[in-house]
Amino acid sequence: MEFRPILSALMRSKVALVLIGLQIALTLAIVSNALFIINQRIENMGRASGMNEADTFMISSLGFGAGYDVKNAYAEDLATLRGMPGVANAAPILTVPMSQSGWSEGISLTTTQQNSDVGVAMYFIDEQGLDTYGLKLVGGRNFTADEITHRDVRSTSWPNIVMITKALGERLWPGQNAVGKQFYLDQEKPPLTVIGVVDRLIMPWPNISNRSGDKNAYEFSMMVPQMVPFGLQTRYLVRAEPGRVTELVKAVEAKLAQTNTSRIVREARTLTEIRAECYRSDRAMLIILIAVIVALLSITALGIVGMASFWVTQRTKQIGTRRALGATRGNILRYFLTENFVITTIGLALGAVLTYGVNLWLMQAYSAQRLPVLYLVGGMIALWLLGQLAVFGPATRASRVPPAVATRSV
Amino acid sequence: MLKMNHLSKVYRTHMIETHALRDFSIHVREGEFVAVTGPSGSGKTTFLNIAGLLEEFSGGEFFIDGVSVSGLGDDARSRLRNEKIGFIFQGFNLIPDLNLFDNVDVPLRYRGFSAADRKRRIEENLARVGLASRMKHFPSELSGGQQQRVAIARALAGSPRLLLADEPTGNLDSLMARGVMELLEEINRQGTTIIMVTHDPELAARAQRNVHVIDGQVTDFDEEPRLRVPENGRDTVATTA
Repeated sequence: MEFRPILSALMRSKVALVLIGLQIALTLAIVSNALFIINQRIENMGRASGMNEADTFMISSLGFGAGYDVKNAYAEDLATLRGMPGVANAAPILTVPMSQSGWSEGISLTTTQQNSDVGVAMYFIDEQGLDTYGLKLVGGRNFTADEITHRDVRSTSWPNIVMITKALGERLWPGQNAVGKQFYLDQEKPPLTVIGVVDRLIMPWPNISNRSGDKNAYEFSMMVPQMVPFGLQTRYLVRAEPGRVTELVKAVEAKLAQTNTSRIVREARTLTEIRAECYRSDRAMLIILIAVIVALLSITALGIVGMASFWVTQRTKQIGTRRALGATRGNILRYFLTENFVITTIGLALGAVLTYGVNLWLMQAYSAQRLPVLYLVGGMIALWLLGQLAVFGPATRASRVPPAVATRSV
Repeated sequence: MLKMNHLSKVYRTHMIETHALRDFSIHVREGEFVAVTGPSGSGKTTFLNIAGLLEEFSGGEFFIDGVSVSGLGDDARSRLRNEKIGFIFQGFNLIPDLNLFDNVDVPLRYRGFSAADRKRRIEENLARVGLASRMKHFPSELSGGQQQRVAIARALAGSPRLLLADEPTGNLDSLMARGVMELLEEINRQGTTIIMVTHDPELAARAQRNVHVIDGQVTDFDEEPRLRVPENGRDTVATTA
């Protein structure tokens, strides 16, 4: 191969080399980091919530008037909902995964711990909550009806039992069975005992892992056996029989409005809609990043095509001379492909440094994760291929320069 | 060494046909120094291009070193060119971004010689043209005469049997032209066959044999090589058929 003479010839065309090298370096830095971000977003968007999303929807009602009794409303509504045809189950809730709104607390394992380092999402449910959400119990037991209490939203008291997710149990007591273990939400008050463990239930704000050091932090959830109205507002999760969710949304809205006229029924949203809304900005980011990647790769490819075309035209006589001196068409083709490989490699070497520079900046400014080497290597291979592909046309044109050009005076 | 029988070359466009060579016959023997002369547009360069396998011909027969060129593919022509023919161009045709060492190396790389062999050949031939000390210099740092010497070193590095020179002194002043011509004569004395295209009668007179071309045909052909007495009077070369 002609690496050395090609490199030494390129060193005499430094401006072109620097410009195209910088373009390749910048493209590698941006494309590698953008691909990493895209992959993370796709991974986030594809996370299972742990609950039955396809058949569930959330609905709220807001009572008005002095005589509106929230506890009574809970009892009547739950009886109504659970008795409706097509409803598999219903439960009082405060929030659902991905809704971006909810209640969180910090957990301590001792009464002396100064600051909690584990933030937990609180899901307030009754004994039907586990079934309505569609959660999978993997240890201990569910709440019983007599363990469910009503809680005032301003209250600071907690029940003495909870259920937690497997991820939270593993975080608090690595490698141990969490059932029967205790922790504190309020160090002034008695500890809470874990009676059950569910396989998975993600937080209402699932992107929290981006800001936390723990990659499973988005699954740190706890179920509390309480019904918590916000003032006169009650909220329910309804699980429809498979395939009937759309039909039931309207039916349930009408039924709740009909059974109690002292309230406004609102916010009927399926989990499918909630998921879509939760990740709307991620999808927008994906589109923008993909557009940036396509634009950058196109500009880089066009830059390579332009430069190679210019060099082929500029060196027509030189190519003819090489042919006259015995170069085959294949030799000429390989020369330009090799030249591009050398330029791209120089650009990629600089780009590798720049890539981790950009990644470091993203880590500091946006709490991004460290870029895995795979993305850098993938980006480099992609740009090598892009370079070879881009230069192939001009190189083929160069290989067709006839050797007789060498003897032409113009 | 080179034999053309009734060769023709026709350039065709959709409107006209141009007969650059017609019924062109020539026989150049091993070790000869032949000058091809003729006015501009007579077909000298076309002859040189065909002789050097840079262009294909339209009809007739053409043999190099006993090998029929008809029907050879592009790669085979490139290999034959690389192994048997050395080129010296009027405009030197050195590659400006390569130093002298790398310029001379160009045809050797295509030949597939080992790195050590290439190095030896480059150093030997640059020394032969008196430029051994300038190996790391670039063409732009040399005079025209020196550049043509590098081109000669490049042409000789692969030990070709035939050297084709296209107006080798056309871009040089008389002093430099004389130096280059003396170098070519010395190369010829050492056994390399040379065909030189020129329109300079003085240079042509120094060749062993002259071929005059007009309108694509050989009009005047010294059948037998002349005895040539170089200016220094020391060597006398007589090559016969």
